[in-house]
Amino acid sequence: MPLDATDLSVEARRKAACKTLLRQVHAILGKEGVTPSALHAIKLKLVALGKRSEIFPPADFAMPEAEGRSHILEVEDNDGLGLYLTIGLPGKEAAPHDHGIWCVNAAISGQERHVLWRRTDDGSKPGHATIEKIGEVMVEPGNGFAMADHDIHSTEVVGDQPAIGLALYGYALARFPSVVWYHPAFASVRPLPSRRGPGAA
Amino acid sequence: MSATLFQVRIGNTGTTISCAAEQTILSASIAAGLDYPYGCASGNCGACISQLESGQVAMLPRNDTSLSPAQAAAGQTLACRAQPRSDVAITWLGRGRR
Repeated sequence: MPLDATDLSVEARRKAACKTLLRQVHAILGKEGVTPSALHAIKLKLVALGKRSEIFPPADFAMPEAEGRSHILEVEDNDGLGLYLTIGLPGKEAAPHDHGIWCVNAAISGQERHVLWRRTDDGSKPGHATIEKIGEVMVEPGNGFAMADHDIHSTEVVGDQPAIGLALYGYALARFPSVVWYHPAFASVRPLPSRRGPGAA
Repeated sequence: MSATLFQVRIGNTGTTISCAAEQTILSASIAAGLDYPYGCASGNCGACISQLESGQVAMLPRNDTSLSPAQAAAGQTLACRAQPRSDVAITWLGRGRR
């Protein structure tokens, strides 16, 4: 008698679900490219996966020692996609930044506030940048968030529970381009070194 | 009971600030109006990596990807994780600006 999905281990069902998601994402990107509508469609897929909390039991994922932690779910070779389970402890914040690559988030449990920012200077003065808030999204169960390559966001885990979610990036974290950090209080901007190696984009 | 305060000299700016023992050097710097580089402020990204020139610090938990054991052995630290245990001199290791 053939196995059905309920006969598989949680780990096997999680693995299968994550691989299915990546196949769906590639289908979307192959058809549309990285467009706002494509990222929205990907977000809906990731939100649906995040609702399947039974395949992401907390016992399978160690809590962070340093307020935040990313567990690899699926990472493709070379310049492929990276899918992670992320955990942020209450109060964890990140200053405004852009990743240099698109990303999509969806919640499994807890709440993380994402504030969207827009750069308002012309970038002509090295080290200087001004940004303004343009919106806010609460990533919580049933909700998600999508960003294009150079969209700017800041994050804050709110409430008294860890924010556990899914994060899908256009490149795996180990091959991230330069993440750029903005500090509006000082009107400053600093890029971190790219992880993509010499001569990489 | 008053908090134990240490003096922290920031080499990049030539500024000396006060930092409580239970405060991170990053948070004291920001509170003092210094544009100290940082990102996640939680020991994950490494944007605030710094050279501890002198003095002693205690470290809050961090990820090894943000500060490797070899970097720590070489006297580097993360301002967002470092709490002074003596007067300290520290210099942030510029990651470049644009």
